[in-house]
Amino acid sequence: MSGHKFIGKSVVRVDGKAKLTGAAAFVDDLEFGPGLLHAVIIESPHAYAKIRKIDFAKALDVEGVVKVVTGKEFPYRFGLYMHDRYVFAQDHVRFVGEQVAAVIARTPAVAKKAAGLVKVEYEVLKPVLDVETALKEDARLIHPELGNYHHVPWFFPKKDTNIAHFRKVRKGDAEQGFREADHVFEDTYTVPRYAHCSIETHGAIGLFDHSRRLTVWAASQSPHTQRHLFAEALAPLGLKHKDIRVIAPSVGGGFGGKAGVSMEILAAALATTVQGSPVKVHWTREQEFYNTYQRQGVVAKMRVGVKNDGTITALEQKLYWDAGAYVEYGANVVNAAGLSASGPYRIPNVHIDSVCVYTNLPPGGPYRGFGYSEFLFGLESHFNEVAKKLGIDPVEFRRKNAICTGDVLNYGGKMNPSGLLECIDKVAREIDWGKKRVSADPRKAIGKGFALFWKAPAMPPNASSTAFLKFNEDGSLNILVSAMEIGQGFLTVMAQIAAEVLSVPPEKIRVETPDTDRNPYEWQTVASHITWGTGNAVKKAAIDAREQILDIVSSALGQPRESLYLDDEQVRSRSDAGFALPLRDFVINGIMMKDGTFRGGPIIGRGMFMPEFASALSDPETSQGGKPNVHYTVGASAIEIEVDRETGKITIPKVVLGVDCGKVLNPDLLKGQVTGGMVQGLATVLYEDMRFDEKGRLLNPNFTDYKIPTALDTPEEIVSIFVEHEQPDGPFGARGVGEHTMIPAAPIIANAIEDALGIRIRSMPITAEKIALAIKDS
Amino acid sequence: MPITHSFDYQKPGSLREALALLARKSAVALAGGTDLIGHLKEGLVSPELLVDLKGLKELKKIEHRGGALHIGALVTFAEVIDSKVIGKKLPVLAEIARKVASVGIRNRATLVGNLCSAVPCLDTGPILVAMDALVLVKGKRGSRKIPAEKWFIAPRKTARKPGELVTGISIPLPRGKAAACYLKLGRYRGEDLAQASVFVSIEQSSRGAKARNFRVAFGSVGPVPCRARKIEKALAAGGALIDMVALKKLVPAEISPITDIRASKEYRLHMCQVMLERALAAADGRLNGTGPAYGASLL
Repeated sequence: MSGHKFIGKSVVRVDGKAKLTGAAAFVDDLEFGPGLLHAVIIESPHAYAKIRKIDFAKALDVEGVVKVVTGKEFPYRFGLYMHDRYVFAQDHVRFVGEQVAAVIARTPAVAKKAAGLVKVEYEVLKPVLDVETALKEDARLIHPELGNYHHVPWFFPKKDTNIAHFRKVRKGDAEQGFREADHVFEDTYTVPRYAHCSIETHGAIGLFDHSRRLTVWAASQSPHTQRHLFAEALAPLGLKHKDIRVIAPSVGGGFGGKAGVSMEILAAALATTVQGSPVKVHWTREQEFYNTYQRQGVVAKMRVGVKNDGTITALEQKLYWDAGAYVEYGANVVNAAGLSASGPYRIPNVHIDSVCVYTNLPPGGPYRGFGYSEFLFGLESHFNEVAKKLGIDPVEFRRKNAICTGDVLNYGGKMNPSGLLECIDKVAREIDWGKKRVSADPRKAIGKGFALFWKAPAMPPNASSTAFLKFNEDGSLNILVSAMEIGQGFLTVMAQIAAEVLSVPPEKIRVETPDTDRNPYEWQTVASHITWGTGNAVKKAAIDAREQILDIVSSALGQPRESLYLDDEQVRSRSDAGFALPLRDFVINGIMMKDGTFRGGPIIGRGMFMPEFASALSDPETSQGGKPNVHYTVGASAIEIEVDRETGKITIPKVVLGVDCGKVLNPDLLKGQVTGGMVQGLATVLYEDMRFDEKGRLLNPNFTDYKIPTALDTPEEIVSIFVEHEQPDGPFGARGVGEHTMIPAAPIIANAIEDALGIRIRSMPITAEKIALAIKDS
Repeated sequence: MPITHSFDYQKPGSLREALALLARKSAVALAGGTDLIGHLKEGLVSPELLVDLKGLKELKKIEHRGGALHIGALVTFAEVIDSKVIGKKLPVLAEIARKVASVGIRNRATLVGNLCSAVPCLDTGPILVAMDALVLVKGKRGSRKIPAEKWFIAPRKTARKPGELVTGISIPLPRGKAAACYLKLGRYRGEDLAQASVFVSIEQSSRGAKARNFRVAFGSVGPVPCRARKIEKALAAGGALIDMVALKKLVPAEISPITDIRASKEYRLHMCQVMLERALAAADGRLNGTGPAYGASLL
C-alpha cells in the first residue's frame, strides 16, 4: 500500500527528548520524601532446604528498623499461568537466593545491616540441579503438592514427578515418516541459562494507604497483569482490583525480565505491613541475576528423517527444559516452544515432546525469543549437518523444505501469509552465498552460516489491548494505552498509527507510560504482539474518533457524510472543494450553530482488540484442534565470520537478517530492533553463560564474569532486509518482529564455524576457548 | 548498594601527616577507590579510618630522571595514557593502561592501586616484574625500595607492611634501542580481567649489533606475575633466530595456570604460547620500525 503519510516513515522517537535530556523518570528517580522505608531481603543460601526457624529478635533491636516480615504473614500461592510460587518461602526454600524474609527500615544501610542479624536455621536437602537427575524415577520431588496446583487449562503437569508441564505435539505419523526416509540423522544439543541484563535492575515501591488502597510504582513490562496478580495473591487481605493501582514510569530495558510478577510482589506485600508508609525494594545487580527470571536451559534430542533429494519426511524433537524452582511463567515458554519446535518447515510428520522440569535453580521465565532461540540452535545446526551429509547446499535444503502460506502447522491450523522464500533469497544474495572468501591472514579461516527462524506470540488466546484517545483544544491529542515503551519504539509507532488515521502529525500526539487507574487495559508488553495488538486497538480508537468527527461535522453543518474525510488536521469534503474545517476549531468546544448553541463536544476515541479466532483448547495427546498462535513471523539470517585458528576468536565482517514483518511501520526503529536483537543474540552464542556450582550457587551474578556486548563487540556491518507480505489482521498489515531479530544468532554462528573449520559445536556458548581447544583436538 | 560499616575519613595535606594517620590501627589509604569502595559496599573490609591521599600533590607526578621512569601513587591510568613522557620513553606502559578496565574506571583508578591490589590478573604485574621495577614504600620508620618480583607474595598479598604507604614506582628504562608489547587475553572485546597476559620487551644490547636482551613475563597464569627467565635466556642465546617450537615448549615450565570461571588451564597454557609468539613478533617489528602501532589489537 502506498500513499501513507506517516506509516512506513522513520518518524523520530516521541520519547527521545525525554530520554536524552534526563527528563524521563525511572522508578529509582521517583521521590517519596523522608517517610520512604527501605526493605532488604534475607535470602536462602541453599538450593533446597527446609526452614526450621527464623530468629529476627536482634534485627528488631537495630535503631531504625521498622519491621521484619517472613513467610508467615503471606501464606499464599500465586503465579501467572500456574500457582506454584510464594511471596516469601514457606516451609521450604527451592533455590539459592530465594526470599525468606525482609527487614523494613528507615534507610537502606540500616535495613542491610539488620538483615545480616536475621538468623535462619535450615535443614539442608540434596538439591536437584539438572533435568537428568530431576527426571529419574526416584528423584526428590521439588513440589510434592504439584497435583493440587491451579494452572491454565493448556498445561499438563504430571503429579508426583518433577514434570510441571508436558507439551506433546503429534502431527501425521512420525514412525511412518521415518520409515519413508532414506536416512535418519539424530543428535543432541544443549543450551545453558541466560540473563536479560537490562541496564536498569528491578525496583518497586509499594504504598498501602490508610484507606486501604495499594499503589505500586514498578519498573515493569506488565502493569495490568501485575495489578491482577497482586489482587489475586493478596485477595485474602480483602483487596479488590479497583483498590490496586500500578504506575509504570520509564523502564530501562525489559527483554521479558520485567514481565509477569517476580520481585514486585515484595513491594506490594510489604507495603500492606507498614500501612501509610511507602516501602521500596530495589534489586542489586546480583539479585537481578538470580532472583527475577532466567532464560531456561534446554537439552534437545532430535531425529530427522530425510529423502535423498533433501525432502524432510519426519522430525522428532525431545526438549527437556531446566525450568527452575518455580515455573508459573516459564512453563509457558516450554509450551510455546513445544508447539513450534519444527521451525519454519513443511514437515508432514512431527513428534515433539517439550518437557518442563523443576530443578533447584532460579526460576526460569520469559526472555526475548521465548524458547525459540533455544530450540533453533539445535534444529538449525542439525539441518546443516543433514544437508551436508546429503551433499545438498544448506540454503537449497532450507528452501526446499521452507514453510509456505497455507501449509499445515504443527497443531493443524494453516500458515499465515509468509514471505519466507523471499527472505531466503534476499539474504543469500546479500551475503554472497556460495562464494568462498580466503583471508589475507593465513591464521584466519572465513566461513558463512545460514539459518531460518520463526516465532509466534505466546499468549493466552484472549490477550487483549485497549486504547483511549483524547483530543485537546489545539487539535493535539493524548493517547492512553498500557503497553510499555521498553526501547522498541512502541510509543512512536502508536503515534504514527493514530496520525495516519486522523491526519494529525505525530509531533502533535503524546503517548506515555501507563497508570492502571487512568489507562485502559493491556495484557502485557511481551510476545512481540504490541505493535500488532495495541496497534490494532489504537487504530480502532482513532477510527472511532474519526467517525465521531465526521458525524458531527455532517450533522451540524449539513455536509454529506460520505464526502467527508480528514486531511492535514482538517475535515475536508470530496464534494465541496472549498470546505476545510480545522480540527482545533471543534474537537473540544464543538461546533456553534447559527443560534449560538453548540453541537458535538470533546472527542474521545475508544479502541479494543482481542483476537477472537485464537483458542488454546486442543487434544493434550496431540495438540491438534486449537489455534494457539495468532500468527508466525518468519525470516532468514546469514553471517560471515573470520575465525583465528590459534585463538579461536571470531570477528564478524557482516551479518544479514531478513524478516517478513508484514508491513514496516517505522524503518529506523525496525532497524534498531534488528541491530539490538542481533547483538544480543550474538552475545548469547559467543560468550554469555550462567555458571552454577555443585551446590546450585550462581558463580557469575555480575558483569565481571557474565559478559554482555559493548560497542566494540558489534559486527562491522548489520544489514536489515524487510519483506512485506501483509498480515490481514494487523494494523496496516504489520505483524510482530521484536524478538525475532535475536533468534537466529546462535545457529548462524555455529554453522559459520562449521563452514570455516569443519568443526560442529553442539553446546552453547561457543566461546573462543571452546573453538581453540576444539581445533587443537581435531 | 549502601555501605553499612561506619568509619572516619581524613584527607591529610602532607605525606608526613598521612603516614602518621596510616600508622593507626585499621587505617586504609584511599586513592582512586575503585577497589576499596566496592569492597566497603560488599562488606569485605571494615576499616576504622580512610586516609584520602588525593591532597598529596607530590604523589601525582610522572617524571623521567636518572634513567628511570617515576610514577607517583596518585597517577591514574588515564594520565598514564595521556603522558608525553611515557609515550616517548615507555610507550608499552600506555598500551597496558589502555587495556585496564574502561574509560570511567581509568579516570579514577591509579597504577599504584592496581599493583597494591596484587590480584593475579592485574595488568601492571608482568611489566613491573619483567622490567625490574622498584616499588617505593614509606613508613613512619623510613623508606624502602622493593623489587617488583619481591613485592608480589601471593594473590592479594604484597610485601607492604602495616602502616606503610606506597608512594610510587620506579621503572628502569632500557639504555639502548628497545621495543615491547603487552597482550591481554579477554573473553570479548569489551573490558575484561585478563584470562592470561604476556609482556615482552626487546632491547638492543651494547654487546653488538646482533645481540639483544629479552624480558618476558606472564600474568593471570599463576598466583603472582611470572617472570619467564628460561624463555628470556633461550631467546638471548638464539640471537636473531627465534625457534618458536622450542620456545613454546618452555612455556609450561614458566607458568602455573588454573581452571576457573574465566578460562581453563588448557586454554590459558595454549594462549600463553600463542601470545608469546605474537608479542615477540610485534616487539621485534616495533624495534625495526615495522611493527604494529602500540595499542593495536593483535588477538
